[in-house]
Amino acid sequence: MNLLEMARTVYASLTRHLVRSLLATLGIVLGIAAVVAMLAIGEGGRREALHQIESQGVDNIILRSVKPAEGNVTQTTRSYTQRYGITQRDVEHIAAVFENVRLLVPVMEVRREIFLGQASTDIKAIATTPDFLEVTRCRLVDRRSRFLAPTDGKILDPICVVGVKAARRLFGHRDPIGQTIAIGNASFRVVGLMESPGGGRIGGQLELNNIVCMPLETATSLWGGITVRMGRGMAERVDYDYLYLAAKNVNAIPSTAGRLRTYLRETHAQVDYEVQVPYELLQSAQRTQRIFTVVMTSIAAISLLVGGIGIMNIMLANIFERTREIGVRRALGARKRDILWQFLAESVLLTSIGGGLGAGLGIATAAAAEWISRMGGETGLKAVVTSESLIVALAVSVITGITFGTHPAWKAAQLDPLTALRHE
Amino acid sequence: MSGARLHTPAPQAPLIELRGLSKTYEAGGTQIFALRPTDLIVKHGAFLTVMGPSGSGKSTLLNLFGLLMRPTSGTYLLEGRAVSGLNDDATSAVRCKMIGMVFQSFNLLSHLTILENVCVPMQYAGVPRATMRQRAKALLDRFGLEGRYGSRPTQLSGGQCQRVAIARALANDPPVILADEPTGNLDEKTGLEVLSIFQELHRSGKTIIMVTHNPAYRTYATQAVTIHDGRASEA
Repeated sequence: MNLLEMARTVYASLTRHLVRSLLATLGIVLGIAAVVAMLAIGEGGRREALHQIESQGVDNIILRSVKPAEGNVTQTTRSYTQRYGITQRDVEHIAAVFENVRLLVPVMEVRREIFLGQASTDIKAIATTPDFLEVTRCRLVDRRSRFLAPTDGKILDPICVVGVKAARRLFGHRDPIGQTIAIGNASFRVVGLMESPGGGRIGGQLELNNIVCMPLETATSLWGGITVRMGRGMAERVDYDYLYLAAKNVNAIPSTAGRLRTYLRETHAQVDYEVQVPYELLQSAQRTQRIFTVVMTSIAAISLLVGGIGIMNIMLANIFERTREIGVRRALGARKRDILWQFLAESVLLTSIGGGLGAGLGIATAAAAEWISRMGGETGLKAVVTSESLIVALAVSVITGITFGTHPAWKAAQLDPLTALRHE
Repeated sequence: MSGARLHTPAPQAPLIELRGLSKTYEAGGTQIFALRPTDLIVKHGAFLTVMGPSGSGKSTLLNLFGLLMRPTSGTYLLEGRAVSGLNDDATSAVRCKMIGMVFQSFNLLSHLTILENVCVPMQYAGVPRATMRQRAKALLDRFGLEGRYGSRPTQLSGGQCQRVAIARALANDPPVILADEPTGNLDEKTGLEVLSIFQELHRSGKTIIMVTHNPAYRTYATQAVTIHDGRASEA
């Protein structure tokens, strides 16, 4: 019997008990749906995490100044100035000693208000070096845009580069290039428009698209290089708020991060810093992903086991009910293997139909989960159905059909023709 | 259409030869003969009736002929070839190509159309689809079922069902047709119609072996076997 004939035979037998056949596949449908939906949500989560990590730059180590808890303040001088965070000395030391660091980009929050007309805004101004654009994975938007240049700090005409979101808020639909912004008591000419495609943040804090960047030299010459903020009658002094260390290659990151932590522990009396290593986050995200995969596989395996037993059950019932048919077929010349293939094909067809329905249900479930989680908020779950996951789903349903169909089909093939023929 | 024979028959060999063929079963620790050792020769083109009371061993003999049962002892030669000791696959092939079976209760597959039913033996013989359907239609036409190809067995009368079953038995053009009380489920008139089909097959050269209760059918036979208590005797 060729494949086509077998398919026709199988189709005819299955359509005879359409409802019963479909009910029998329910376990497979749900199992496969769970697999597809979880794969989609897992994949979405993975991509989201990867994207967030990568938008910070996998080859970066980011050092952030953190104000230590009040109780730990040690008054070293008689002044009321509290010093903390990354110092000029730290930057110089790292630049001199850390040979695996390709770029070193300090970032200072200017802490001066940016005015829009008469009103102040919450747009933050930062002062940094020309390599900032590269380490933050930002790109320039307008063709006329340029970023900070090494010579910018030395000219009298202060310039700045504006993030796209800040530009929209400051200038609306007007062309930002060439406009002037008031920052504190100085005015800056906009020479560039930049964008972080991933909507990244500096050290997880300042939104890159909502800042204004100026050269470090400009800020120091205007405001003395020390950013002072008044709080409870005390002044604070922070040399740099952030320091980007771009490693020469990703493999050098763990050792560099280790050395950096050791150096900071030894030179800083208090923990007034935070070391962020996106590469480590990436690794931990991958570990989480592996755990997720194991859990998901177990759930899928259990549903498919239950579904497969359902299939085996219905096939055994089918075979019992159709014992006489088997006898007739054997009397008409069917070999054992013809019977075996017929019933095996039936169970594989059943599980494949279940797999197809399950894949559809899984896609719908994933989409629904995404939609529900996004209701009310702009962000939420993301579901990504990959073609690989669909291939896996189909393969798994076929394998389930073979696994759980073999025993019933074997039983059917082993029936004695005469006994089967006399079966009522 | 001669169908693919399994081997070249020996020229002088009878179609069927039984040599001391017997079947026993065990009941309460003793061997009971369902069929006592039997010698029988059935020539090409014979019409053999097998008669006897219920439980006498008629069906056993027919099932042995149809290779649905293995004999306890003896030899069954079909066209000169011993077929009683063949393995399952070879036995299936013999059933498929050399023997056509017609049952009392028709045994049509109810979820298939009558055309598909006639096709079943040809599927197992590996006949190409187009040839298969063409031949099945020709057979159905021959037995007055033209235009009913798409009907299900449940939509047909008993006589029509048995005609479909006969068409199915002829699908691979086997030399032997085994019929187990083919008119047993039919009224007298329809029974005679079906019997006339067997006569026609006989005339066209088929060898017919028919188990029957009806002594009247004896008159159509060229050879008759009567069985009492597993003892077969030619009359």
